[in-house]
Amino acid sequence: MKYRIVHETTYQYSEPASLSQNELFLHPRETITQRVVESELVIVPQPQYLHRRNDFFGNVAHVFMVQQPHNHLAISATCRVTVERPAIPVPADTAPWETVAQRLAAHDQPSTLEAYQFVFASPLITVNPAALSYARLSFPPGTPVLAGAVDLINRIYTEFSYDKSATNVDTSVDQLLANRKGVCQDFAHLGISCLRSLGLAARYVSGYLETKPPPGKPRLVGADASHAWLSLFVPDTGWVDLDPTNNLIPDERHVTLAWGRDYGDVTPVKGIVMGGGVHQLSVMVDVAPQK
Amino acid sequence: MITPDLTDLPPQQPASSSLFDTVPFPHGAYWEGFLSPASPRVHWQPLLAAFDAMGPDVLNERQERARRMRHEDGATYNPFDEPAGRGTPWALEVMPLPLTAEEWEGLETGLIQRARLLETILADTYGPQNLVKEGWLPPELVFANPQFLRSCHGIQPAGQRYLTYYAADIYRGPDGRFRVLRDYGSNPAGLGYALENRIVTSRVFPELYHRTQIRRLAPFFHAMHHSILQRAALRREDPDIVLLTPGPDSRIYFEHALLSRYLGYPLVEGPDLTVRNGEVFLKKLAGLEPVSAIFRHTGDASSDPFALRRETAVGVAGLIQAAREGLVDIINPIGSGFIDTPVLPIFLSRLCRHLMGQDLLLEDHPAWWCGAAEGLSHILANLGDLTLGSAMDGSAVLDGSADPVAAIQAAPHTFMARAPICPAAIPVWRPSGAATRYTVMRLFACATDLGFAIMPGGLAITAPDVASLIAECPERLQSKDIWVLSEQPVAPFSLMGGLQTATAVSRGSDLPSRVADHLLWLGRYLERAEGVVRLLRSVFRRLSGEARPAEIPELSFLLNLLRADNTIPPSADMDDGIPLYRDLLAQLEAALYQQDRPESVVAILKRVKEAARNVRDRLSLDSWRAINRLEAFADAPAGDPLELLDDTLFTLSAFSGLAMESMTRGLGWRFMDMGRRLERSMNQASLIRAGLPEVCGESRSILEALLEVFDSIMTYRARYRTTFQLAPVLDLLLLDDSNPKSLAFQLNQLCHHVRELPQQDDPHVVQGEAHAAQEMVLALRQLDFARLRCRSDGDGAASLAAFLESIETGLKAFAQQISAHYLSRVPATPHFSMLPGHRRP
Repeated sequence: MKYRIVHETTYQYSEPASLSQNELFLHPRETITQRVVESELVIVPQPQYLHRRNDFFGNVAHVFMVQQPHNHLAISATCRVTVERPAIPVPADTAPWETVAQRLAAHDQPSTLEAYQFVFASPLITVNPAALSYARLSFPPGTPVLAGAVDLINRIYTEFSYDKSATNVDTSVDQLLANRKGVCQDFAHLGISCLRSLGLAARYVSGYLETKPPPGKPRLVGADASHAWLSLFVPDTGWVDLDPTNNLIPDERHVTLAWGRDYGDVTPVKGIVMGGGVHQLSVMVDVAPQK
Repeated sequence: MITPDLTDLPPQQPASSSLFDTVPFPHGAYWEGFLSPASPRVHWQPLLAAFDAMGPDVLNERQERARRMRHEDGATYNPFDEPAGRGTPWALEVMPLPLTAEEWEGLETGLIQRARLLETILADTYGPQNLVKEGWLPPELVFANPQFLRSCHGIQPAGQRYLTYYAADIYRGPDGRFRVLRDYGSNPAGLGYALENRIVTSRVFPELYHRTQIRRLAPFFHAMHHSILQRAALRREDPDIVLLTPGPDSRIYFEHALLSRYLGYPLVEGPDLTVRNGEVFLKKLAGLEPVSAIFRHTGDASSDPFALRRETAVGVAGLIQAAREGLVDIINPIGSGFIDTPVLPIFLSRLCRHLMGQDLLLEDHPAWWCGAAEGLSHILANLGDLTLGSAMDGSAVLDGSADPVAAIQAAPHTFMARAPICPAAIPVWRPSGAATRYTVMRLFACATDLGFAIMPGGLAITAPDVASLIAECPERLQSKDIWVLSEQPVAPFSLMGGLQTATAVSRGSDLPSRVADHLLWLGRYLERAEGVVRLLRSVFRRLSGEARPAEIPELSFLLNLLRADNTIPPSADMDDGIPLYRDLLAQLEAALYQQDRPESVVAILKRVKEAARNVRDRLSLDSWRAINRLEAFADAPAGDPLELLDDTLFTLSAFSGLAMESMTRGLGWRFMDMGRRLERSMNQASLIRAGLPEVCGESRSILEALLEVFDSIMTYRARYRTTFQLAPVLDLLLLDDSNPKSLAFQLNQLCHHVRELPQQDDPHVVQGEAHAAQEMVLALRQLDFARLRCRSDGDGAASLAAFLESIETGLKAFAQQISAHYLSRVPATPHFSMLPGHRRP
């Protein structure tokens, strides 16, 4: 599939902001199945400082600073990508999860060593007995690792309700397990916590998902949103994405921006601003399929 | 091995006449001072002989003098709102710890090797990570370690110096060998206290200090300074180096202020710095000034609220980005706390062989890691004998109730265990006599272009039991100076001079806006305190006489002035304004001592101290001593109020005199003086206005009281040699610009100051504050003196009152202009884009 994606973030300040520093993870990654045809970043007012780098995880990060007083900040990221359908292993044919955990613990190959960094708790994802006992139900001894993970996200999908007002940036895995509601980043965090509690490697993926309009209705421009899911390391195959919010293994309708240990590593837009009074944030995302 | 609590040991039987013969023998531990009871080691003998010669009384007196000197230097941590938190970090215990040249040589060689090794490990960890890829370092140490900062990976520090400043805690085991307990790379603490200990100890024992050949500390500071200067100079002709502190709330802020003064690096807090275009700037009155190097005394995680922890107000947003651009030299680079990782030393000996082809010279304290199979089985088999702790970030992870085995098995890589530690024992002097304490030494290293240099000295941290000695807050313990003995004569090298550098010289020309702000308020609070103390003193003087309150004609006038300032509550009945004697005393008592009354003397003095604390590095030690004396006020609410007020006024005057005298006539002095003038003129205008009806009565005693309150009686007598009359009194207090206490004098000074402030914008545009000051001076000059005859003419009093009111308004506007123009500080807020996620299809 080919997409043209527009992601606009605007801040309106009640008082002039004097200095704004921001870090962006809005440039899609190149992956085995994803090519970035073009990517453009437009910031208004024009920042005096803009810096691009590849971060520790290989994502493209932009840092910019607006240094003159401003009441309004608009960040517009536009890209065109092509996404191919990934080769997804048959879940029942994957190795038992215990073997996978053992291979990660041994980390004697570059690929297992690389994946091993995603086995541990991270700033926003605790790994504790509560997550382990939730995970165990999907992973009886000998369960093929991907089959267990598919069952896990199915349970998250059916047992948790989607509620935008239930959580915020700092909601913990324990709170989620208690309240059983949240948004995509919460479900991704929960799934990752469960997988890591078993000694498996799981990472957080930030990106977009194409929305299909209801049958017979036209596609609404700007009705999309940024999205998040998780990815599980399956030795000898590589990373397999899993979307607990929609209970599916992503195909070519998921566009990957960046990945890290959790939301904190790859927040699409985060920053710090001097002054500015009360902030008003609006975000518009449009994922348009191209011919 | 069980290490006894040394406070419980019975004293030895005295065998001879030495004070130290009774020192309890610490069984099982290495004994620094003695080979056996009453048999001191050779290098201790001169020291102990000198102490014996002094005798207990002199030693007690020296110990007390050391305590007082450290207190007066401000080494006491003294949070104003938290009396329980008061204390002296690393309180000085005067008897030093001597080390022989031979012992020192071993330590020095070992520490240099260790610092080199740790720097190589840091460079690899924040670079190619070959140690992990090749299996020399377990990946958990990087991947599961909060002290490894991913956002700092790939940053190349100036001159490839990953470690400029390093400290280690070292103890001596029962076998006499030194072992390393902890390493500090992020922002090692204690260097300033080691410096202070040396200054105080050498002053308390001058003869002993100069008779003994002791290695000097000053060359180490010179080496460190030149190392920083050399790298900073790579980029800029005249590098500006600053010392970044978390601020006065830090327990060891004293150390930051001392090092700042000593090294000549301006002391700055996070809000003083800003990052623009990837470069770091210091916010000064005249604008932004580039910073080349930062001697950082903030922790890794709180150094950059933009890239790291968002809730911190301590760091500088964007600092890591500036480091990434290579535009600032941060010492140590953010992320160097990686070498503080408690479990890292376990791997050092094989890393040393791998990286340097050498055996590790300094042993580490025996420890095991639960993340490795053999470590885990050893720990589980010996759980009762080992001390379990966090492997990665030093924070305790086990509470008493948790099952340790279950906790370990849930996340083995996060735990480690140490063998019991048995540190050396050392003689100390207590008021009750000689005693024994356990000790750990904190030693410091800095990078130079010739390799690492070790400070010949350091902090000997002491405690009565081992548990407190190795607890997480060593700064709550006591400390001693370490004397490294030299076999050769020591070159004289003054410690007191500080380092004369270009940066120290250029400090006077401009100053950070925050400092100017604090100095302005220091001036204001000082003046406010003096004003209220003077007024209260006038009242107490009259009450202490024989006359009954009702018989003192000016008493109700003075009380009205106090009411105008809200120092005492408004009068209930307006008959004569004098409450019942008992009520009056209660009101005055509250005006002196009531902490939660913002207008009380004790509350204003607290503000003086707070403001002074915020600019501590700008104040001379002498003026700081005066500030510390103000504590007597809060501590002694029982004495004679008049005496106390006299003393307080004296201390305040001494402080202002010292502070103003010791400051060059630069911007700092200007802002402090502006604060004084501003407060004095506001106070003067409002008090004269409040007293106007009675002043116009032209009673002799009231006019005299008014002059007394404004400290102008002597001037009046000298000038007029006449009885007190209204017109000359008002002339002297308002219009006479040769009287330093007159309103005209204050306004002229304000005008003069604003002309000298740095111009940020177009120099031809008259700025708001200059305009406001000139307007007031003009209005005062135009005041029709003839109309001051307010006795016969009610209009005269009213117009004078209106004039004074307009001056008060003008002064407030002036203060706002100054603040908006030079001192405004804007709060920073973080923002995120939330992920609303995606509805289910």
